[in-house]
Amino acid sequence: MGLIDIGAEPTSRDTFNAFIEQLRDRLGVDHAAYAGMDHAGSDIRGFVTYPGAWIEHYQQNEMASKDPTLRLASRSIAPLDWARAAAICEGDRVMLEASDFGLPRNGVTVPVRGPFGDIGMLSVSAHGSPEQWKKQFAHIRSDLQSMAVYLHDRVVQSFTDQNPAMRPLMSQREIEILQWIAVGKTQRDVGTILSISDRTVEVHLRSARTKLSALTTTQAVARAIESRLINPR
Amino acid sequence: MIIIVDALNRHKYTTLVDRMFQLRAQVFGGRLGWDVQVENGREIDQYDSLDPAYVIGVNAAGDVVSCVRALQTTGPHMLSDVFSAILGDEPPLRSPTLWESTRFCVDTKRLARGRGPGSISDATAELMIGSLEYAMSSGIDDIVTVIDPVMDKVLKRSNNAPYDYVGSTVQMGKVPALAALLDCTQERIDRVRDFANIPHDVFAGPEELARFTDAGLLSQSNSVGRELTVDYLWAQFDAAKTVDEVAAVYRMWMDLFSKGLVESAPPESLTSRHVA
Repeated sequence: MGLIDIGAEPTSRDTFNAFIEQLRDRLGVDHAAYAGMDHAGSDIRGFVTYPGAWIEHYQQNEMASKDPTLRLASRSIAPLDWARAAAICEGDRVMLEASDFGLPRNGVTVPVRGPFGDIGMLSVSAHGSPEQWKKQFAHIRSDLQSMAVYLHDRVVQSFTDQNPAMRPLMSQREIEILQWIAVGKTQRDVGTILSISDRTVEVHLRSARTKLSALTTTQAVARAIESRLINPR
Repeated sequence: MIIIVDALNRHKYTTLVDRMFQLRAQVFGGRLGWDVQVENGREIDQYDSLDPAYVIGVNAAGDVVSCVRALQTTGPHMLSDVFSAILGDEPPLRSPTLWESTRFCVDTKRLARGRGPGSISDATAELMIGSLEYAMSSGIDDIVTVIDPVMDKVLKRSNNAPYDYVGSTVQMGKVPALAALLDCTQERIDRVRDFANIPHDVFAGPEELARFTDAGLLSQSNSVGRELTVDYLWAQFDAAKTVDEVAAVYRMWMDLFSKGLVESAPPESLTSRHVA
């Protein structure tokens, strides 16, 4: 996918910063920003591509706790378009000032709910007309969802020194499918072998990738071999 | 029509949400006999406090006729906990593009049999279309839905058969439950639309959205109440035979008017007509 593989340990702050820049470029947006916190909301981490002046202003005024895109998205299960946030919080200071600093008005914040009550939010934004933005978002939303969970899981794992046992467990079906992929079968082959539809294979593979913090199936297979979930042949 | 209620707009739709909890009590606690907690005529569980999204079907009168609840599978949801028996204690699917849908139901008491507007099958199809379109526009590819075998049959009959299942059918209280997979694709939506003959947009427009907020529903019920009161007062006037009776109705009308319970004062012309 042309992104740094942050699923492999260990991951430093620099790697996350590099990842968020690559994510921005890959999705063709102007800015990307991630904010995540543990279940208590005590440990907050952020990685952003915003201009230094805005970051400084944002931090000085402790805007993270007031930012409506974060506050609202953390309670949404669907991606929150900034147009909806603006309609709910009309005349909000953070949003007005962001636009004074030249930040794009078009944007979306994708909320991620983790298994331990942790919450992550990945925002991307772009200049241009609302119509252009609508099209662009429809085009990138699926990748954006995957990247958001991928990044969030890795950030949470990095800041709590979690042991691998805390990672989501794989099901027998997921392991079985990965094992067949590892020996060179295509998704279609696997479906035929297991007498299940292509789409069932796909939904389990996607879940396996998510649980293994992998953006691609190749990464997932490598990770599964590494952790001895499956055997290399 | 369909209204999406989540944590961001829930404060505006507390009446609808309350009616939804009552419908769930009637269906899951009553008709289906599921092992759910019903308190004060409402079925509410711990997942309702996790800021889920609800897809709610509403009729023109503002009654909740159908509903379903959606949660992300990346965080806590029912298959990762309460419904884990369905998966035979295997870990649940976890994916950013997979939502879990639970508490899918329609009001079979309020809706008619057969087909067409106002029927059970129409409300069911509308809720399906609404759920699938809402999920799709949120970047969701698939839904894993916890249902009973009857709903499974309904899905199959309405050209909306699950493409697969996870786990197996297990007993939950008095009835069995299972987890089905549905793809959120235009092809599936079109099939349901064709079958149910629903070509129109199922989502409430801006006017309807305003009409079904707490404020909108309150003003509606007030205006209905006011009309009834005025009808009643006119009837009393017509029935009044003596000057004293007319005066009594007149005083009652004035009293209601001063309390804001009717919109206009008693018409003078009418009083004089009766007195004459």
